[in-house]
Amino acid sequence: MAARRSRLELVFDILLSIQNKGGKIKPTHLMYKSNLSHKLLNSYLEELIEKGLVNVEEEFVKKRDGPLKTVVITEKGLGFLAEFRRMREFTDAFGL
Amino acid sequence: MLQLHFTPEWFNGWDLVLDTIGLVIALLIAAFSWRIYNMHKENRYAYFALAFVCIAVGFGFKLLTNGIYYFEPIRDVAAGVLKPVAGPRLAFADLFYRAGFFLEMAPWLGGLLLLFFISQKPRERLHKYYELTQIGLFVYLILLISVVSNFTFFVFYLTSTVLLSLIVLNYYKNYLNNGNSNTLRVMWAFMLMLCAHVLFVFVFLWSGLYFFGEVLLLAGFLVLLLTYTRVVAFRGVKRVA
Repeated sequence: MAARRSRLELVFDILLSIQNKGGKIKPTHLMYKSNLSHKLLNSYLEELIEKGLVNVEEEFVKKRDGPLKTVVITEKGLGFLAEFRRMREFTDAFGL
Repeated sequence: MLQLHFTPEWFNGWDLVLDTIGLVIALLIAAFSWRIYNMHKENRYAYFALAFVCIAVGFGFKLLTNGIYYFEPIRDVAAGVLKPVAGPRLAFADLFYRAGFFLEMAPWLGGLLLLFFISQKPRERLHKYYELTQIGLFVYLILLISVVSNFTFFVFYLTSTVLLSLIVLNYYKNYLNNGNSNTLRVMWAFMLMLCAHVLFVFVFLWSGLYFFGEVLLLAGFLVLLLTYTRVVAFRGVKRVA
């Protein structure tokens, strides 16, 4: 069984999912990609928006009742991803 | 006077240059680990940072004591400062150098012991009370060894050799588990330090061994620096969600 992901690893997985989709992703896709429940993803997204790591953009599309929401990674979010990768590499290298 | 190290005369002072490089590298690694601790709030990063700070402090005391020992102008200044306490002839020179050697050894051994603990235990290490009491016991033993080493200096290098051997073994196991080239580099870095400390044990036989030991120690720290720079420059994606 895989180990439980830490809070930071969950944030990393969310941001990585957005980056892997070219920096933009629909919330439903993000939920599946990051393997989180709707409730949990929303709570994490609120935190990430607050910290400026992601933005939510709304587009109005024809044939749709409400606006189409997309989650977009910010420069700060990309910086966090790079920092987290370095941290993971350091952890692996030094056996931490 | 107590002979701190069996340094070849021509090498006096140069060893301090090599040790300064080691000190800077140790502080760089400690600072990076501390940064991760601030981000992650996991104790293992704080302990790892502390281990390298201890090694840097050990280097610092060696630089201070040997600097005074090697360079006459500095020795005169130190003698002047200490004159009111020590008397006109710096009568307690032996005591001063013994204290300096103790302050070099204790943090070095403490740092190596922490590295051993960190490299050995599973992920949840150093969280539980009984592990902290174990560390307390080892700290006591290290202080004891440091005191004894003041009278028979090679006890220090013998102890550090044992600790480094265990650290190398742990990093080798770690490399077998993850196959990461940086882990292999870290293992080689500690292997070089181990070789250096083995030479230091036998330095009383031939002072030239001190030179080779210092060079190997520097090589070990340079390999750590190489690993550090590769980690800092790391941009690859290793695990995709």
